[in-house]
Amino acid sequence: MQYGMIIDLERCVGCHACTIACRAEWEVPVPYQRNWVKRLGPTMTEFGMAATYYPGLCNHCDKPPCVDVCPVDKTDMTFTDSKSGNTKTMKVAATWKDPFDGTVQVDKSRCVGCGACADACPYGARYVNPDQADSESDGKVDKCTHCKPRIEQGLVPACVQTCITEARIFGDLHDPESAVSKYVKKGAKGLEVADGHIGPNTMYYGNKKDISLLFSDYTPKLANVDMVKRRAMIASLVHPAMNKAKEIGVLGLAGAMLVKGLSQKDDK
Amino acid sequence: MAFNLTRRKFLQTASLAAASIPLSKVVSANTGISKSTLDTIGTSGDKTVVGGICEMCFWRCQMVGKVRDGRLMKLEGNPKSIDNGTALCARGNAGVKLLYDVDRLKYPMKNVGKRGEPKWKRISWKEALDECGSRLNSTVEKYGPQGICVFPHGSSAKYPMHFFERAVGTHNVSEASFFQCRGVRDTSYVATIQKAPGEKIDMPNTKVLFFVGDHLGENVHVSHIKQYIQGLQNGAKLIVADPRFSAAAAKAHIWVQIKPGTDTAYLLAIMNYLVENNKYDKEFVEDYTDGFDEFSDAIKEWTLEKAAKECDIPAAQIKEVADMLANNAPNIAIHPGRHATWHGNDFQRGRALACLTGILGAYYVKGGWVPPKSPKLKSISWAKEDHGHTYDLNYNNEDEEELYPFKPPGTPTELIRDCAISGKPYPIKSCVVWGQNPLQTIPKPEKMKDLFRAMDFVMCVDVMPTDVTAWADILLPEPSYLERYDYIKKGTQWDLAQEHQQYISARMPIVPPMFERRDQVYITNEIAKRMGHEDKIPVKNIKELVEKTLASANLSIEQLKAEDGIHIQPGKDPFEIPEDFEVLLFNEDIADTGHPGAPTYLPVPDNPKGYARLLYGRAPVHTFNRSQNNIWLHNEMPDNPVWVNDKVAAQLGLLEGDTVGFVNSEGVKSATTTTVKVTAGIRKDCVYIYHGYGSANPLMTTGAKAGVDDTALITKLAIDPESGCNGMRNNFVKLIKNGKVLDIPA
Repeated sequence: MQYGMIIDLERCVGCHACTIACRAEWEVPVPYQRNWVKRLGPTMTEFGMAATYYPGLCNHCDKPPCVDVCPVDKTDMTFTDSKSGNTKTMKVAATWKDPFDGTVQVDKSRCVGCGACADACPYGARYVNPDQADSESDGKVDKCTHCKPRIEQGLVPACVQTCITEARIFGDLHDPESAVSKYVKKGAKGLEVADGHIGPNTMYYGNKKDISLLFSDYTPKLANVDMVKRRAMIASLVHPAMNKAKEIGVLGLAGAMLVKGLSQKDDK
Repeated sequence: MAFNLTRRKFLQTASLAAASIPLSKVVSANTGISKSTLDTIGTSGDKTVVGGICEMCFWRCQMVGKVRDGRLMKLEGNPKSIDNGTALCARGNAGVKLLYDVDRLKYPMKNVGKRGEPKWKRISWKEALDECGSRLNSTVEKYGPQGICVFPHGSSAKYPMHFFERAVGTHNVSEASFFQCRGVRDTSYVATIQKAPGEKIDMPNTKVLFFVGDHLGENVHVSHIKQYIQGLQNGAKLIVADPRFSAAAAKAHIWVQIKPGTDTAYLLAIMNYLVENNKYDKEFVEDYTDGFDEFSDAIKEWTLEKAAKECDIPAAQIKEVADMLANNAPNIAIHPGRHATWHGNDFQRGRALACLTGILGAYYVKGGWVPPKSPKLKSISWAKEDHGHTYDLNYNNEDEEELYPFKPPGTPTELIRDCAISGKPYPIKSCVVWGQNPLQTIPKPEKMKDLFRAMDFVMCVDVMPTDVTAWADILLPEPSYLERYDYIKKGTQWDLAQEHQQYISARMPIVPPMFERRDQVYITNEIAKRMGHEDKIPVKNIKELVEKTLASANLSIEQLKAEDGIHIQPGKDPFEIPEDFEVLLFNEDIADTGHPGAPTYLPVPDNPKGYARLLYGRAPVHTFNRSQNNIWLHNEMPDNPVWVNDKVAAQLGLLEGDTVGFVNSEGVKSATTTTVKVTAGIRKDCVYIYHGYGSANPLMTTGAKAGVDDTALITKLAIDPESGCNGMRNNFVKLIKNGKVLDIPA
């Protein structure tokens, strides 16, 4: 099973309802976003004048580059297939790809908020949510979950529910009979990275000129994973030091300055 | 994607925050996988409250609220709705942020400073109402009821508007929804088919969608958009005439890049071609129209070539459009438009659209103009009284004729403003503004300020501190549409091809009002008591108004609640053409008033050298200026970039994202700046911005100074001769970059 989202650009009118419904449903603070609508054109394409939209969200990729960069220590986690009841235990960091439904999820209780995954995502689909800051971090990574808690209750994702024109279609890409699979057969395709293969599972369908405009403007490139990993490693090293500094209370100020010094070097 | 190191101030801020946390609050890290308390939980478990009727715009979708511990978390389309269904647009979804906007008006306020430069003092409701009552009374005593002018907008303004019009007796009411929006559309259709057209076209089941300037997608009304997209999905062809490659043009099969102001010439040429080539619906014309000979005679000068020259489009394209219409008639959806106060020649454009629908036989047919049969409800309000014509500014008492014989309800705005500022023919000394922001709806805002300066008393009632509220002496806070009983919404299923059904829904509060906000019935009744009209009060409170209205359909609030907020009943087939239906292709009554009886093109002023015509339209995430302070909507489109033709931009050295201001042909400069959007999708002779941006009131902490206010640049007034409505697209601008005024190349 692989959940995926189809965006039908022939239906989409660019109203931005999806972004606001998501914001309300998951209390996503401005200016961050779990999904977005970017307005493209009008501009000339090889197929004529075009103007369209890029409604984006996490692609819940086949090979998500965000998952491997998470510096949090791995731990055993048991996943259950909602359909068969089968279970599978895997070692995961604070973010993973679900072996059964294919969604990419975050464990906020273990996330250290370093943002390495956000940097690794070629689509900008993750952010560090400052509203979720705690004594351990200045926020937790937040992203589209394909509305997993809603799906488990038999609801559709909030963005799908509010879409005026049924331009967002959600379902199982592995089920050949699903509406989303039928779109793929009709030619819906994902915004695959230019320099690799990560298998995005948000697919765009539309006429030639709109698709041409979307793919020329928004085909992403992979992030420099070495850089992201280096950052993640430093973050994970500094993290215990920070906690230590906090635990010694007032002296934490000095510790904080020390940590600040470290981080500023890294920021250059 | 760029590797963004500087974005994250993670370590700095975390460590500094840590320094301020007391030792006792420090908790150790969780271990293992568990649901974090930091995780948001979603709204599916929240209490569902029914009865919401949206008023982020005026389409009024039916909603439910998701309420957690008394706090509204989310709005959703009411799943029982046969209109919008579970869908809401961006604005509807963002209603939560209007409700909890920290800048909202909270208490009655008195301006102890100057009008326009207010110093606000919180006062009690009693003091506020006493002052409104005595000041309005004093105007009536000195100058008569006509000494009060009213600028209302929205559903909360209807009850007070009727009070001032009917009970007090002033004609001087100017509704923005008429004189600066759809009024001229309505009266032009009434003068042709005896009915206001709404947007009642059967788009889902049509063969051709024909839009003139309609920018659906940027203009978003949920069920209307559903109809539009369903039509396209069902294979309809779309023809869009627009100087700009609008959201609708982007989905069009034919985009007619017409010169602004010339639409009627385009329509006349299409009609003339259909008539001359016998491609019109002869049977329909025979059975249901009047004045065909005079009509066809009057339009015969409009050859394809003549219109092509006037409209700056290819003759072959007009022919292509006309043939597409003829080949698919009568299943043609000619969109009547909505905001129609464009060029001061708009009554004739509306007439042309209505006549084109007629000669195609596209009334009361599948895919044509079809008025759905909506349930009937009694309107409960102040009783109508006859106040005569003596002080009706639109009425010439000497020759007993109307200045603007085809005006919408109320008095044309400029007649009121001219009278108030000059004191002639009589003084107008009090102004009531209710839900309208005339400074950003009515052209030439300086003239509006002159009106306020001429007043003895100005009162405003609103939800937000819009620009106009700075001119109030007394400012009263209303509950929003989410906190009050109010509007009854009724209609039918959105797609006429589905089973015919009707619905009735009433606005009921989703959450109780906060602070000291009071609804329109309370405020109006209290003022009425103080003005000696207590005996005429039609309802004691707003809930009674809703109950009485519902009772006329044998419904009640309790029953509606039990029915999940929406009552649904069997509907009626709307396609049967009424026996007395008639399309007046030539209208004798119009001719009798000295205006053209057949649809006629009235040319509009051309661009002065070096200027571009200023066009404006809807941002999909905003309703004019009303939603500008909504932080969720602001975040989607924080300003209104000016669309500049790419070749013009290249000549001017303008690049995408450059910061520019505006100066118009009368020397008025924009108070703020915006950015440049370079695009091939607009004509060279015009520029375009979204309407409603650039609020000036600093109390709107999100919306103030965001983008440029188009209304402030619309200072040259054009008045439609038949309707008295404003025309707002005859203004011309240059761009200013780095202090340098740039001439727009011809």
